Amino acid sequence: MKKEGAGSRILPDASPAGLLGYGALWAFFIVFLIYPLIRLFYDSFTTDEGVFTLANFHSFFTDAFYLRSLMNSMLLGVGTVITTSIIGIAIAFLLLRYDFPGRRLFSYLTIIPMIMPPLVGVMGFVFILGRAGTVNVILQDYCGFQQPVNFMYGIHGVLLVETLHLFPLMTLSIVDAMGKISPSLDEAAESVGSRGLRKFFDITFPLTTPGYVTGALLVFIWTFADFATPLVVGIDDLLASQAYLNIVQFVDRRLFKMGIVISAIMVILAILFLIIAKKYVSIKDYSSLSYTQIERKRLSTPLQAGAVAFLSFILVFAFIPYFGIALDSFGKGWALTPIPVKYTLQYFERVSVETPKFILNSLLYSAISVMICIAVGVPVAWAMLRTRLPGREVLDSLTTLILALPGTGIGIAYMRAFREPFPFMSIALIGLWVVIPIVLAVRRLPYTVRGTFSSLLIVHRSFEEAAESVGATKMKTFRDVTLPLIWKGVLTGSLYSFILALQEASATLLLVVPGHEMMTVGIFNFYIGGSVNEAAALGFILIILGAACLFLINRLAGSKMGGVFG
Amino acid sequence: MKRFAVLTALSVAIFFCLTGIGSAQAIENEFYLITPVSKDVHDPVLKAFAAYAKKRWNVDLKTSAMPQGTPVAYGQILEWKGKPRADVFWGGEGTLFDNLAKEGLLEKVQVPDKMWNEIPAEIGKPVGLPLKDPKKFWVGTMLEPYGIIYQPKLLKRLGVEIKDWDDLLNPKLKGQIAQCTPDRSSSSHASYEVILQTYGWEKGWEWLRKLAANTGIFTARSRDVPNVVSKGEFAVGFAVPSYMAFAEVLNGYDVKYVFPKNAYVTPEPMAVLKGAPHPKAAHAFIEFLLSEEGQKLVSAMGVYPITPKYKVQGPAGSNQEKAVAFTGGMRSFFDIPVGNVYNADTAGQKKRIEEVNSYFRKEIAEKHKDIIKK
Repeated sequence: MKKEGAGSRILPDASPAGLLGYGALWAFFIVFLIYPLIRLFYDSFTTDEGVFTLANFHSFFTDAFYLRSLMNSMLLGVGTVITTSIIGIAIAFLLLRYDFPGRRLFSYLTIIPMIMPPLVGVMGFVFILGRAGTVNVILQDYCGFQQPVNFMYGIHGVLLVETLHLFPLMTLSIVDAMGKISPSLDEAAESVGSRGLRKFFDITFPLTTPGYVTGALLVFIWTFADFATPLVVGIDDLLASQAYLNIVQFVDRRLFKMGIVISAIMVILAILFLIIAKKYVSIKDYSSLSYTQIERKRLSTPLQAGAVAFLSFILVFAFIPYFGIALDSFGKGWALTPIPVKYTLQYFERVSVETPKFILNSLLYSAISVMICIAVGVPVAWAMLRTRLPGREVLDSLTTLILALPGTGIGIAYMRAFREPFPFMSIALIGLWVVIPIVLAVRRLPYTVRGTFSSLLIVHRSFEEAAESVGATKMKTFRDVTLPLIWKGVLTGSLYSFILALQEASATLLLVVPGHEMMTVGIFNFYIGGSVNEAAALGFILIILGAACLFLINRLAGSKMGGVFG
Repeated sequence: MKRFAVLTALSVAIFFCLTGIGSAQAIENEFYLITPVSKDVHDPVLKAFAAYAKKRWNVDLKTSAMPQGTPVAYGQILEWKGKPRADVFWGGEGTLFDNLAKEGLLEKVQVPDKMWNEIPAEIGKPVGLPLKDPKKFWVGTMLEPYGIIYQPKLLKRLGVEIKDWDDLLNPKLKGQIAQCTPDRSSSSHASYEVILQTYGWEKGWEWLRKLAANTGIFTARSRDVPNVVSKGEFAVGFAVPSYMAFAEVLNGYDVKYVFPKNAYVTPEPMAVLKGAPHPKAAHAFIEFLLSEEGQKLVSAMGVYPITPKYKVQGPAGSNQEKAVAFTGGMRSFFDIPVGNVYNADTAGQKKRIEEVNSYFRKEIAEKHKDIIKK
């Protein structure tokens, strides 16, 4: 309350109701983001008795195994950034600059691989490329191979899965950034003789850097925080896997503590990366929606064929998990044959008709989380752009920080922070189902904020000033003038949050509340419970849901494919 | 009408109170299980219990299970500090239950004396393996071995036969074995103890190191082991409960099972957590599982009854008969001589559990890449 008092002295024209709302925003951030993180750090810097200590960090940095895990995680992250950059940039260039048959179809298909719930992707890959997957069975039964080829088991398998899952993120970021380069700049460069690679390094590269860095950061953090994929292919010397394995075992208190410490280290590293990349990923830098129509060059026939072949090649690989999941969700007793021999619908029946809770909970919680995202995210974006309230830059930094926070870290922070009941309440937040939509909302908030922010930018200030000049309050103006103009952008951002909320499976896996499991938790539980077919069926349904949302986004955002990135 | 129903209910209640059948009072309408026993078994059992609750008390019971490996479930229960979010802990090694009882986190099992006494105190020679806690803090619910599962097609291709533990060390199996780690799964932990107590600490670890040299994957959970073997990703699975292997057969996979010498036989202990949110349902669940109905139900899933009274039996072609054929032809553990070297007094000590786990972590898990190279 003190803050608001101070606020009204700084901003005498702000209404008390508005300030109260702004205070509520801050309260949300403090309770659900800042406090859990502080609690995580507190726990990692103290003993179980609450005495300050550096011993936890000392034992991390003197343990060869943890250091190797840290190293491996960094290498894997960097490796994935490199591979996704190569594929992502190539695709972005082809789609934006050149015309060839099927370009529109490809521009839709190349985003699809992003819809891949954790675990489902790697499962699908193992069904096709595993030691007993379709490819190896064919190689051994028909091509005379004595031993299966090891495509999956090892760090290279993780790299493969992450690359083919995350390259669309890179494509989208680049498309978004390149869409903002005016063709006149290109022409100017060419007129003074800068062509080809030279032009790329002179013009295109510097101008796309902010978008690229953001994409790279997202890819890096995603890989860095994923613990499900490595576990399936038998890799556990990675930081996220160690955090997860140490936390979910409670037997050895020392290991449990190390799980907390590892999460804290992951969060610290994420913050560090963010500071390094800060120059580029500040929200203002890539919020423009002023897309310019880019003139596409028509490729010569052989080059056209080349472009189509390249894109098809990547897509075939990226769609491998979909084939695998589809086959396994319908196939019964599939082992050591190229495709299943018997087919059934029983797995779909089991995960939808018999236990509909997974699908229902997923839809419900994701919807609630999107509503929270809108309730918090839209005002945040509006406050950043339309007010001079103190602390709004901090809100900007906090939203960007969320983007960089590994889900494992947030999940563990919540576990520690909300274990004890709230003041005046008899029950702790952990164990109540509301914790799930809340953590989902916090994790997906940046997409809504960004979507709203960029939509707000193109609403000319004069519209609002006109309304205010005839006596409308800021609130009323927002509701009657601004909102009708930006709803499309907000909706796109929200749908995007929705897809990603549906697929979240790092924080929610750690915070699972019995009886309130979401689909991703169901997939994980079915998988580790040995019911791989049910896991596949649930995954299949989730992929279809995601694809439907993506289609809707594509319709809403129109040709501006990158618009979804705000 | 309503009043009539209330009156009837009341008089029925009074009748039961007077006649002393206290357990006939209705149970809560929710019930939560924390268990390493996989979905293959806990799902049908929970469903049957819900149906039973409906029939007996007309209660629409909502059940749910938190699937966790035994060590993890154990740690979770400690972490709850007497305010558990589950009612019943089911499965794994009895020693962990003893430790929980010592911490004061378990409530005494309440089942009729006759039912309790029908369960033998222990099984196995030369070392007896307890099937229930003399202090009544936990009770065994069913019997099953932790054995070896294999993919016959792959073994044939490799030219390997598996009859006992030592066959797993065959160099031809390099990279073909799947196992879970002893700190994540009690089937793995108990089987490590079987090896360690057979050969002694030094030689036992040498054996386990050779096993690691043949191991292609350490899975995240014990249930993954039969899963990757039935798929054909790996040829052999170490320390697999018989029902998990049998579940794969029911799922339509072609796998075979070996019950090796002195393999650990788990009674799948069950206990009510102190401070359980639904204590009546918890006690009713145990009684249900130990009843003839409960024991018949699980005997169709590849496990064996906990009392000599019941046998795995069914009409030809039934799951019971398939299970008998799959696990080697016996109908009850009390019909055959059961070998056991696992000493609960040695293996159950907290210090020993930590020693085994940390030795494994330091000397096998962290050095696995080097062990394979040798």
